[in-house]
Amino acid sequence: MFGGSFNYEKYDGYWQSDGTYVEDDYDLKQLRLNLGYAHRLAPNWQASVVVPYVWNDNEYPGFESSSSGLGDITASLWYETFDNIMCVYEVRGIEDLMPAIYLGGTLTLPTGKSPYGGEVTEVFDITGRGFYRLDANLLMDKTIWPWTMIFEFTYGVYLERPVNQEWGDYVEPYDKQLGNRRLGTVSLGYTSFLKELDTMTYTLAYSDLKEDQGTLNGNTDPTTGFTKRSFTFTAAYATMAKDWIVKASINHSPRSDNWGSDFPATDIFTIELIHVIP
Amino acid sequence: MLFPRYLLLVLMIMVTGCDDLYPSADDKREPVDPNTIGSQPGQIAPDFDLTDTENNMVNMFTELNSASGIVLYFTMWCPVCDQHMSHMRTQVIPNYPNVKFFIIDFVSATVEESRTAQENNFYTDLTVLVNNIPQNVLSLYEATMGTTVVIENAGSHGIVRMNEDYKDSVKLTTTLDALP
Repeated sequence: MFGGSFNYEKYDGYWQSDGTYVEDDYDLKQLRLNLGYAHRLAPNWQASVVVPYVWNDNEYPGFESSSSGLGDITASLWYETFDNIMCVYEVRGIEDLMPAIYLGGTLTLPTGKSPYGGEVTEVFDITGRGFYRLDANLLMDKTIWPWTMIFEFTYGVYLERPVNQEWGDYVEPYDKQLGNRRLGTVSLGYTSFLKELDTMTYTLAYSDLKEDQGTLNGNTDPTTGFTKRSFTFTAAYATMAKDWIVKASINHSPRSDNWGSDFPATDIFTIELIHVIP
Repeated sequence: MLFPRYLLLVLMIMVTGCDDLYPSADDKREPVDPNTIGSQPGQIAPDFDLTDTENNMVNMFTELNSASGIVLYFTMWCPVCDQHMSHMRTQVIPNYPNVKFFIIDFVSATVEESRTAQENNFYTDLTVLVNNIPQNVLSLYEATMGTTVVIENAGSHGIVRMNEDYKDSVKLTTTLDALP
């Protein structure tokens, strides 16, 4: 399976530590091209890799910058705990309510430009966070046509690393670890059938993301960590054979207090194309 | 399956130069000549003039004359900057009454814009200087977002004692504790 998506992320203020939303007029944008490939290793196992390329375009009243580079590559392995199709047209018994459960693991590789590598001299060059991360993923999907409900939870752990440079300048070495990360998402989708049994699916999702405070030389760093809550609306077109899928989505957080902390408020527009090789 | 193989090859070539894949703990700082003017710790701090958000001209060396040291923090009014400045305001500044703290806004083009940003971000209690009016101190100190510079009053001149990211403030407070 091949996939490609294009994200356009537009900055629109940020939330302070106490959840206060701060509005500003800065024109900050990020474009991301994500190329993915997934391969079925065995009937219940699938491996995938996603390679992002990032363009930053930032315009302040007194400062402008454009840069680009490879982002952080992710590699995933998923296991499907079921052998039969779990979606049903009607519920005839308790077994029809059993969701399809997927278990996965994701490794994030610090292939992007981070403050701790030698390629970056200013903040606008950043395309990655600079840390390895391991995620454990749980996805439960229940489809009772035409409705689909999905619950997804991801728990991520960044690996501690030494740092001996910041923004291209060498500094006194120290050990740094970002905080553990939790992402929970619930979504509800509705599928309508088109001519020749192609489908259109509309999905509304709510996500809650939290990253704990990190550590420096083993001590808690009080100036790290963040939270963000957001909604995503997705419209997806799929051919009858599900060999071609086109998705368009928008991710949005309300611009008001307590929808995030220590994090930028953004809108993310995504176009995605997936092709499944029979 | 040729495409995945080519993709893998291209990826391997692309990531070969990624420092973060193989992080180093080696201390690679070069020794500096203390008799030179520059932005690195140990060097003589370059003097500068900047306008604050109340339209006062601030001269670095003049300010240093009435303090044991000066701290410069470079902000772009972002979430990370806010975490740093908020922490510095409550956890650091009150403990060093003989040190002067200046926030340098390097993204506003005018004093008025900087003042607006200062007010919108709730930092009117701190002194904010506007970069590029008239000097480019961001460039002078090779700074970027979160860069924190400590300049010690050495009598006839200032000495840079720290120039790196704010992080958890431990390095900052250690440096300030060592000021005369």
